[in-house]
Amino acid sequence: MMAGHDTQWPRWEVFKQDAPGRPYQAVGSVHAGDPDHALLTARNVFVRRPSAVSLWTVREADLLTATPQELEAQPEVLDTPGEAGTYHVGLKRTHRRSMTFVDLVGALEAKGPGDALRQAREQYPDALTWLVFPESAVVRTDDDPGTLESWFAPAKDKTYKQQQYYGVIGKHMGELKREGRMPQRVNEEPHIGDQKVYSHPHDKAPKVQR
Amino acid sequence: MIEPMTHLSPTQTEALIRKLTALADDELLLAHRDSEWTGHAPILEEDIALANIAQDELGHASLYLELRRELDGSDPDRLAFFRDAGEFTNVRLVELPKGDWAFTMLRQYLFDAYEALWLDAARTSTYAPLAEVAAKAVREEKFHLQHTALWVERLALGTDESCRRTQKALKELWPFAAQLFQPVQDEAELVGVGILPDLAGVRARWEALVVPHLTGKCGLKLPEVPAAEAGRDTHTDHLAPLLLEMQSVARAIPNAEVW
Repeated sequence: MMAGHDTQWPRWEVFKQDAPGRPYQAVGSVHAGDPDHALLTARNVFVRRPSAVSLWTVREADLLTATPQELEAQPEVLDTPGEAGTYHVGLKRTHRRSMTFVDLVGALEAKGPGDALRQAREQYPDALTWLVFPESAVVRTDDDPGTLESWFAPAKDKTYKQQQYYGVIGKHMGELKREGRMPQRVNEEPHIGDQKVYSHPHDKAPKVQR
Repeated sequence: MIEPMTHLSPTQTEALIRKLTALADDELLLAHRDSEWTGHAPILEEDIALANIAQDELGHASLYLELRRELDGSDPDRLAFFRDAGEFTNVRLVELPKGDWAFTMLRQYLFDAYEALWLDAARTSTYAPLAEVAAKAVREEKFHLQHTALWVERLALGTDESCRRTQKALKELWPFAAQLFQPVQDEAELVGVGILPDLAGVRARWEALVVPHLTGKCGLKLPEVPAAEAGRDTHTDHLAPLLLEMQSVARAIPNAEVW
């Protein structure tokens, strides 16, 4: 086998729409073997809690992205060849911390990905990053009622629980303390008596018993 | 809020309690088996996906046990963590060890198909609380089913090894599937008044769904199955060790107030 052979499945960028009419936003990526699998894993990873009405996935190989600095250093990116047709455009506009990084802002007709990137730069000169991909590369969830019900509706009933919801402070704690079964610090490694439960390679070598 | 059906006879109430417990037991044990993959699934995305499925199934168990609580005041946690193997009424399908990924996905597929169809039928239950629970749970189950159907297909049509493992899993699992359609005692009383779906009808729909998928789309061979079907009181030796682990924390600190 080739050294350094990549055993990962292809990476797919995931775009999520929170509500009808809202822009699709890049929320992260998943590895998956094929388009249908990519959508299913995207739903599991990104839509268990937050609300969504639609997901798109796009294979990494079909995305072309660039920052202004990158285009300055490598202007030939604007000549990247590919199929002519409709291209979607996404922008990163701010350095503010955010759960999402790129919003899709619209589509344009282009001779190829490089041309799409060139047009995106002309239309949105202030962006921090441009992203383009052909319409033909988009894998979409269906928008029929059955899909909306089974893929997206359950998340609306699931709420985040604050940490204290899982608190174990109660009258049994006193009992645990008296019985010596009370963990001393939550980040302490597990011990039985004075002995660590797990030994680590960086621990001192144990004394050899003779 | 729809008022619960109040005119259950004592026999009907007992039968419904038995049924709700059996439904919950299936979900609880399957959720546990799925949770054994947490941190061990083939890729991170599937680890998350199976943990999601396990949590959904656990949620369904909790819905059923809450329905039971309405009938007899029993505590769901006591039922889950303080009953012994002989008192569980789950099918053997869900207590079998998790096996490899093909086994886990195929088991989940067979179960998801059954549960999705059972819940779909239970949406029209004349017992309003059950109809509500079914309407809620069926949505998640239909999504599970898409996920596991995809995996069974990918594995069956994948490499020689994935196909061999999937066929082997089918040979092991298929004989246990029939137990899903075994009624609890007096279940017919509840089917007759529209409280529960007719299992024969669910089974016909299940076979019409899974047999073409397995044999047609996936090219798998169904093994011969003995005609005799065991009731829900029949278990394998795998149940007791599973419960030992699943119940260990609750039993170690039985007076914990909040989990």
